[in-house]
Amino acid sequence: MPMTVRLRDAAEYAEAAQKMFELSRAWFGYDFTRPPAMSRVMAWDPEFGGPHGRAMKRAMAPGEFTRAEKEMVAAVVSGVNACVY
Amino acid sequence: MTDDALWYEAALLVGITNAINVVADSPLQSLAPAETGPEAEQVFAEIRAFYDRAVPAAFLRLGGDPGYLADVWAATHRAFSDNRLTRRFKEALAFAVSVSTRSPFGTTFHLEEMKRLGVGERGVMEVLGVTQMFSSYTKIADTLQLESDMHDIAPVDWSPAPGGAARHRPAKA
Repeated sequence: MPMTVRLRDAAEYAEAAQKMFELSRAWFGYDFTRPPAMSRVMAWDPEFGGPHGRAMKRAMAPGEFTRAEKEMVAAVVSGVNACVY
Repeated sequence: MTDDALWYEAALLVGITNAINVVADSPLQSLAPAETGPEAEQVFAEIRAFYDRAVPAAFLRLGGDPGYLADVWAATHRAFSDNRLTRRFKEALAFAVSVSTRSPFGTTFHLEEMKRLGVGERGVMEVLGVTQMFSSYTKIADTLQLESDMHDIAPVDWSPAPGGAARHRPAKA
């Protein structure tokens, strides 16, 4: 399915966004060949992507439930929202 | 969460949670209350014992067909019992499903079950937070029709399916 918008390559983003890509790499613990599409969407507006990303990390941090359990909750929510991304 | 069996359990739980919710939330007031006999009453007793409360409306609706009620309950009981995933965590998953699908019955019921099984206010907020954040990410991804590009994080696992025969990795073209 074609995307509805074009996404810039990582190098085409400003320095603030590059920091977001670094944080994304650290979060996933994976050295992507290029930042995931969602990271590049979030970097399009760092004033949205920044706090949104922080809220996500806060929600996913271990607490009463483990990070792994929360990943399963996230997968289930994505499933019932019929989102394949 | 690398064991596929955990995901089977989660998927079955999601399915039966949604099944219970759709009946509980449907405007079925014009249906006469089911007349129940001893068979249904026996199932209702099991339900009351499992939840330590009155029989939820979703099961009362099924009382007119005790055979069907018994099978739906057996599947529900199986899905929500402690297994590889704990009953406490399963209630959290069911709560997330119910919030995501805007089920008034499921949201209320599974919130109460989470609390009854020991999940605190912080834990409830954690599940709400994850549910809310991924309700955001999923809609952003869908609106832009993003294609998943996260496959490399979890490469294909060629080990056998739970209880299945060995699989052979295809030769690279």
